[in-house]
Amino acid sequence: MTTMLCHRCKERAAIRMRQHRLSLCKDHYLEWFVEQTERAIKKYHMFTHDDKILVAVSGGKDSLALWDVLWKLEYQVDGLYINLGIDSEEDYSDESERYSREFAEERGLQLHIINVESAYGRTVPQIARKSRRGKTKPCSACGMVKRHEMNRIARELGYSVLATAHNLDDEVAILFGNIMTWQTDLLKRQSPVLEAADGFLRKVKPFCRFYERETAAYTLLSNIPYIEEECPFAEGSKQLYYKEMINKMEEDQPGIKLAFYVGFLNTKESGGFGDLNGAERNNELKPCPKCGQPTTNTGECAFCKMVNNVE
Amino acid sequence: MTIRLILRKQEFHLEEKSIQVKQALHQLNLSPEAHLLVRDGELLNENDWLRDGDQVKIVAVISGGGLSRDEISGEAGA
Repeated sequence: MTTMLCHRCKERAAIRMRQHRLSLCKDHYLEWFVEQTERAIKKYHMFTHDDKILVAVSGGKDSLALWDVLWKLEYQVDGLYINLGIDSEEDYSDESERYSREFAEERGLQLHIINVESAYGRTVPQIARKSRRGKTKPCSACGMVKRHEMNRIARELGYSVLATAHNLDDEVAILFGNIMTWQTDLLKRQSPVLEAADGFLRKVKPFCRFYERETAAYTLLSNIPYIEEECPFAEGSKQLYYKEMINKMEEDQPGIKLAFYVGFLNTKESGGFGDLNGAERNNELKPCPKCGQPTTNTGECAFCKMVNNVE
Repeated sequence: MTIRLILRKQEFHLEEKSIQVKQALHQLNLSPEAHLLVRDGELLNENDWLRDGDQVKIVAVISGGGLSRDEISGEAGA
């Protein structure tokens, strides 16, 4: 087998992307990755250089790569780290916070840090154990805490856009899960951009067309240290199960993941799903009397009920 | 004749004089979509060769938590 060469300069390739029939060396890959991010931002009209962007960072490969790329593209971008209080052999949350802090310090960037235990008196696993949504695993409660806190902080600090580092593998796993269970209301909202409405900030996913191995390759080739340990609660999760299964298909049919996701977006945009079109928010939202965040509940929002044990 | 491959806290040994990255992943039953290999700080492509005496880091690139209804709805506090 011959050496794999970069399509741009004919030097040894560091990575091959079979779905694009493209191999690139380190330097050209890093250049391509930034170009492709900018292209997605423009294609989906995510934000402009006038926007004030808050990136949700976890200390992991995807979110630090996103912050790095947006910083290189000279957007006005700060980070938000939410310390969930997840303990493990390697102090998962504290270590993740350390990686996020070091990334920000090295580049002179602003990182906002919220510690859930300091703010609400209990860690996310402790909140989840007392909640109906987290008796066995805290993932659902964790997701709610993160979404609530991201939106709250971004609004309080005057950001116009909230960016998350969901990659194509994440999006495909979500799409697959929603189709398997025919969650049509959720299919309607799955989009690279979720418009702002009624107290919810505009949410964007600039990495939605990158495979997960590509974001990892960017982080490795950029020498960005990140937490490699997986969340201790992720083991056995549905998302990992779906990703593993879809990757088996990808191995046999390169490009199937990309075609599935892009096909979904194109079909939605062209009206192929009828009333599933558009990334609409729920219109019947009111501010929670306790925290002021939007909610469909009459009375306190689900987050406040959960953290105050009154579900 | 040993090639050492380290994936988090696991260590694998391949008794080969040389082997291509894609073949090594196949032998270890690891998906090339979900794993990248790094040798001496250099990212390897699937056609690169591992050789006797190499020590290689396997990076697991897939992560993910729970996928429950409100985990994926994209709304906060609703």
